[in-house]
Amino acid sequence: MADSPQSWEYLEHLQGVELNRLYRSPPSTLAIFRKILSGLAKHFVMTMLYSPRPTPVKDFELMVKSGNAKERQMAIDQLRRYSIIKEATLRSGKAYALSPDFARSLRQVIGGGGIEGQPFGEVVSPATPQPVSIDELDDYARQQWEGILGFMVGSSNLQELQESGEELPPPGQGVIELLKAGRLISVQGTASRGQVASITKEGFAFVLKDVNAQIWELLFLYVDNADQLNMDKIDVLSFIFFIASLELGLAYSTASFDRAQHQTLQDLIALGIVYQPLAASTNGNSKVTAPPYFYPTRLATTLTSSSSTALATTSTTLGSSLQPNSLSHHAANTNATPGAGSGFIIIETNYRLYAYTSSPLQIALLSLFINLRSRHPNLVTGKLTKSSVQRAINIGITADQIISYLTTHAHPQMRRFAAAEQARLDARKALRTSGPDGVADENDEHDMRVTVVPQVILDQIKLWQLERDRIVTHTGYLLKDFTSHAEYIGPCNYADELGVLVWKDDKRHVFFVSRIEGVQRYIKDRREAGSMS
Amino acid sequence: MDGVDDRQHADEESSTGEQSPSLLTIIFDTNPAAWALLQPTLSVSSAIAHILVFINAHLACNYTNQVAVIASHCDKAQWLYPTAAPQTPPSKKQKSRESRNDYDEDDGDDGPVNRNKRARPNGDHKRDTNGMSSGSQLANSNKYRPFRLIEEELIHNLKTLVNSTSPDTLQEKTSTMIAGALTLALSYINRRSQEYQESLTGIASSLADQSANQAVATDSAHRTNSLQSRILIITLSPSTDLAHQYIPIMNSIFACQRLNIPIDVLQLPLPPDPNQITLQKAQPTTQASTSDVTPTNPQPHQTSTVFLQQAADATHGIFIPAILTPPSSSAAQPPETLQKIASQSLLTYLLTALLPSPATRPYLHSPTLISIDFRAACFCHRNVISLGYVCSICLSIFCDLSLQTLSEEGCLTCGSKLAIRDVGVGGLGKTPVVVARKKKKKTRREGGGSNVGTPTPA
Repeated sequence: MADSPQSWEYLEHLQGVELNRLYRSPPSTLAIFRKILSGLAKHFVMTMLYSPRPTPVKDFELMVKSGNAKERQMAIDQLRRYSIIKEATLRSGKAYALSPDFARSLRQVIGGGGIEGQPFGEVVSPATPQPVSIDELDDYARQQWEGILGFMVGSSNLQELQESGEELPPPGQGVIELLKAGRLISVQGTASRGQVASITKEGFAFVLKDVNAQIWELLFLYVDNADQLNMDKIDVLSFIFFIASLELGLAYSTASFDRAQHQTLQDLIALGIVYQPLAASTNGNSKVTAPPYFYPTRLATTLTSSSSTALATTSTTLGSSLQPNSLSHHAANTNATPGAGSGFIIIETNYRLYAYTSSPLQIALLSLFINLRSRHPNLVTGKLTKSSVQRAINIGITADQIISYLTTHAHPQMRRFAAAEQARLDARKALRTSGPDGVADENDEHDMRVTVVPQVILDQIKLWQLERDRIVTHTGYLLKDFTSHAEYIGPCNYADELGVLVWKDDKRHVFFVSRIEGVQRYIKDRREAGSMS
Repeated sequence: MDGVDDRQHADEESSTGEQSPSLLTIIFDTNPAAWALLQPTLSVSSAIAHILVFINAHLACNYTNQVAVIASHCDKAQWLYPTAAPQTPPSKKQKSRESRNDYDEDDGDDGPVNRNKRARPNGDHKRDTNGMSSGSQLANSNKYRPFRLIEEELIHNLKTLVNSTSPDTLQEKTSTMIAGALTLALSYINRRSQEYQESLTGIASSLADQSANQAVATDSAHRTNSLQSRILIITLSPSTDLAHQYIPIMNSIFACQRLNIPIDVLQLPLPPDPNQITLQKAQPTTQASTSDVTPTNPQPHQTSTVFLQQAADATHGIFIPAILTPPSSSAAQPPETLQKIASQSLLTYLLTALLPSPATRPYLHSPTLISIDFRAACFCHRNVISLGYVCSICLSIFCDLSLQTLSEEGCLTCGSKLAIRDVGVGGLGKTPVVVARKKKKKTRREGGGSNVGTPTPA
């Protein structure tokens, strides 16, 4: 939910050769290993990492319990999709070997030997003339990012934004081009007469995501458009991963960068991902030059974090960013729980919503799916209704997005309440199981989890969406024209095991899968085996 | 209608369990006497280098994974990472450590000299661990910075520890303080998981909230929203002398069991060396036990880690008696090759068996020892016994040596009068003592002292 998988799947579409080039850079390898692979896949990689020979397929089967064959297959498939392992033969048996580039880079990361150059950046020492504090970096990143979001939302002619006279820094022309390329906004009019930008459906979906997912979506857009800027996709990607591996609050040297990297750096500055203090040059002319160093901001350093906690930290400073005390002048007293309290929304089981914010941007976002009732200096109240939710769904926002927005920005009070409820539930369950007469309805509550947003709200939002959505579309592959039942049932069952089977019809010998690679290989293997015997 | 039920939604989230952070606490046995014995096959520096690789691999698995290292030394248990800060209140220090930018500060404290003290896993194994001087290695920034900072801190602390060990302490003590290290680890884990809960749910303002958090942490430690902690003990001491720490060790084990913290144990084998016998003889209290036990069990590593085997078993951890040298014709190979094989096999054990996080383990076959030694240590002489006397009131365990006292004075722990029929060894239908479940005991008498002069039955 928190990660945006569709953006990470971008990497899957790269060619094996391109991926291998990416794996030559240790930071990229580390990021992909950390962020994408499942736990089991990580274990496989670690097992093979220092092994001189390929690992036989049988060994993987021995490693994993027989009941978890599905997980094993999924892990291996994942590794193959990212070209991390490839097939090899060991004593005329089937085996897998790690991609040499990947293995070398990962060994360099965790072992630390034999790296040429400085893949993890060169810290400028001694410290730069005017060190930049982390608070300043956070401020800068937030301003830039808010500028982009504000530009998108503000362009949708929402009243709240226009009423408040607060000015956000407008994003640069490059960013606007990027948003346009990603069809997040559409622009009418010419540059000379002033452009009118309006947000698209995708744009609404975009602004409701959490910050980390937003950044990645923009970055992948950027990578996708790198060709137009005469840059190499893979170079840009590995540069982004490099930036993500840096540490907050340190200045890094740009001395070893080439031209393309300098250009990328400038674009990342516009996004607020890195910060470069501008200093007037010393030799008299008024031109402002960039110093030979830069600071990564929190947006950069949390790029490769995958856990919800790290995301929460991002949210603390940025996500709910658009949060009262950052924008308004009466900052100190608006938010009662600074620091860990990242959220500001309280929603009750009677669909009433209280949002402790005075940020025009947040209010604008809320008004997308809430009927707002009243506005106070630091509080907005409103109600979630069927019409408000369906209005949101009409402009392309999904129920999941609404729910994830509400959950991410839930007030700490709601989280504490949920945690306490959960504890109470657990205690009751423990009591019942230990008690003499208790096994009766244990199963009912076995999987009960208290959600932060009340369950009734979640269900209702989904129900409202379902009233509209009666057709679900899947993209995938239809397999048909099997000659016999035996030929059909094998791949079909295999697809089911892999978890890619979407639909099947046993009578007509037809089935539909969401991913073809594994099934294709299976059919090929069977055919080979068949021809051999 | 399957899209409606949001419980399913929550389940989907929890299925990606590896996203939740895991805290690995390593207890590293630094007993100098034992390492001296192992030196020909595996030196401390090369072991440390490989453990560092292992730590890096653990940290590489997840952005939020955490690590802590405790040295279980001969006379004390000592923090290696993070550095204990006695001056400042520890909780404050730990809080600030949560934000990654704190690394600056540490670096500043240690000064630039420290950058040179980096262990190179592929580097020279023969480095003198006692010497503070190490070759100056410039350009260390070609390493992922968080990894490097941990390495520097760990190596620095280890050196301080080794340098602070005087020959006198070595003379006095040749065991290792596993119990103390376990206790340190448990308290650290407790603190971190509470902090983690707080970071999830916001600042717990009231006491009620805190207790609720605790309840969540203990009752549902397997849940994704809690910090998954585990302990890895890397030990090599001839741990029959662990018997004198029997009670604290068992207490820690039961605490771990209750908190769902698996204890993994990697037992490095000591070579059959004549020094070993003198080492054990240096311990007057355990002399009896070693002479009792060693001949009965052919495999030395099995006798030596009774309690750690039980620890791994009770907490669903992994126990691995490592084999570092090739079984046959070890004399045929030059010592360099042997050292290389030993260090490689150590790394293999660590990476293949001990690295998977608790979230991944349910999928894997656990490479643990199947036959567990369930023997206990008696409370009176700290002997490891398979048959013994158990007080029916307080469940204390006693060996044959104190039979006389038991029948005359009653239980040595609680003082209850016990009706013991006059029998010799094996005279009663004695049942094996399975796991000693220790109860509270108010006053423990000096076990050894009260028994001086007691006639020993056969």
